[in-house]
Amino acid sequence: MNRSRKSGWVALTIVLIFLGGWEAAVRIFEVPVYILPSPSRTFETLAANPEMYLQASALTLGESLAGLLIGVLAGGLLAVLLTLLPGLEGGVMTLAILMKSTPLVAIAPLLTIWLGFGVVPKIVITALMTFFPVLVNVLSGLQHVEPALTDLFHSWNASRWEVLRHLRLPTALPFLFAALKISAPLALIGAVVAEWTGASGGLGRTMWLAYTNLNLPYLFAAIFILAAGGMSLFRLLGWLERKIVFWLPDSRES
Amino acid sequence: MNIQVEALTHIFANSKLQRTALTEINFEVKSGQFVALTGPSGCGKSTLLRLAGDLLQPTRGTITLNGREPAEMRTAHEIAWMAQSPALLPWLDARQNVALAQRFIPVNRRPRLTVDQVLERVGLSDAAGAFPFTLSGGMQQRLALARLLALEASLWLMDEPFAALDEISRERLTTELLDLWQPLHPTVLWVTHNIYEALRLADRILVFSPSPGQIAADLAIDLPRPRSEADPRFQQALAALRTALGRTANAQVMQ
Repeated sequence: MNRSRKSGWVALTIVLIFLGGWEAAVRIFEVPVYILPSPSRTFETLAANPEMYLQASALTLGESLAGLLIGVLAGGLLAVLLTLLPGLEGGVMTLAILMKSTPLVAIAPLLTIWLGFGVVPKIVITALMTFFPVLVNVLSGLQHVEPALTDLFHSWNASRWEVLRHLRLPTALPFLFAALKISAPLALIGAVVAEWTGASGGLGRTMWLAYTNLNLPYLFAAIFILAAGGMSLFRLLGWLERKIVFWLPDSRES
Repeated sequence: MNIQVEALTHIFANSKLQRTALTEINFEVKSGQFVALTGPSGCGKSTLLRLAGDLLQPTRGTITLNGREPAEMRTAHEIAWMAQSPALLPWLDARQNVALAQRFIPVNRRPRLTVDQVLERVGLSDAAGAFPFTLSGGMQQRLALARLLALEASLWLMDEPFAALDEISRERLTTELLDLWQPLHPTVLWVTHNIYEALRLADRILVFSPSPGQIAADLAIDLPRPRSEADPRFQQALAALRTALGRTANAQVMQ
């Protein structure tokens, strides 16, 4: 059994133990369902409304991925631009940090007021959330090139563009994956938070409705989907990382 | 390629600190000469190499290569650089690593040697498709050597290229380097801390004294190659080199 499969089994066992403990606690202490539903009750709710959850999940996932894509492209391109024109770095980074420090919970309702209840404000929020980690990580990857390699490319008379293409971009790839592993779960949260502030569909909307009706099994069913979705995205990215950034020590063993 | 160094001074300075690496250096290297630069740490040998390779600009004085500026020679792809770290691109296999070095050379003066021929010369034909992380330290440095050869440059600047290797790999690569150098006969500036290596390779050894770096001795090693330590003339040269090093302030660093 290889290492990654083994760690997969360990993770699954831990999740099952956690759910088992939760189930037992709810049954033993007879916790009312409007306080904490048991996992079995939550799964029943999921199974009883497959279509509704599927639709809501598809919408939320679509918004997250669209926002993630935009955030990654914008962050990545800006990082490249700042590497090629280092004079801009100070100003742009100050602006980016200001933007990052503004709580998204405050911006989300504003965007809903400005852009309506459709998918656009959700995509914008998600893009804003994912943009910053990608910018910071990719920028640092593009800049932290081994000096011996910079010397070598200089001795070859490579242009700034060629250094970017053949040296800086591949060096930044592991940093991009590190950023993606942070950003992808964040993207899901971003979309849900945006939906919470006003939406016509999606898991955030489902959660908000369930919450206002104190229908906790519905709420927990959505949370389960989000947790599973976030973890799947994370694992998918880990797998892609091992395939693409194959030269790193972590990628070689598994 | 001949090298002419006149009144060369280099000072590293930032807002707090100023350190003179080289002071008023003068020497000349004839085309095709193999010159070892040695001396205690911090005596400016590597700085000199970087100045010759246009990786640094001198504070004062001049360094000319065939009467031209180092920058001109670098952009003409006449200078090949190799350092202690093999500096291979981990995402490229051996063949691609060598090919990358050639791709920056304009089409009209592309080297005659193909990538596969170069790999064969350094004995890496079987590893052409291997990625650097699967190669041993010695093989990685051999690949870096292949990349240097592939440029067909007339000046090789080598900054302790084999210093990180074990003694056996080092001996073997030193011998192989001589075999590769002799038919091509480019000018070589070779920085080393290893006096035996210097004596086995070089036509001439420049001994540097530290802070500020100056040339303390200029020894011609006029012995036929391959050289053997058993040769009494080798022992004489060794004694002369030791004496020269002993005169430099921090000679103990060399041990």
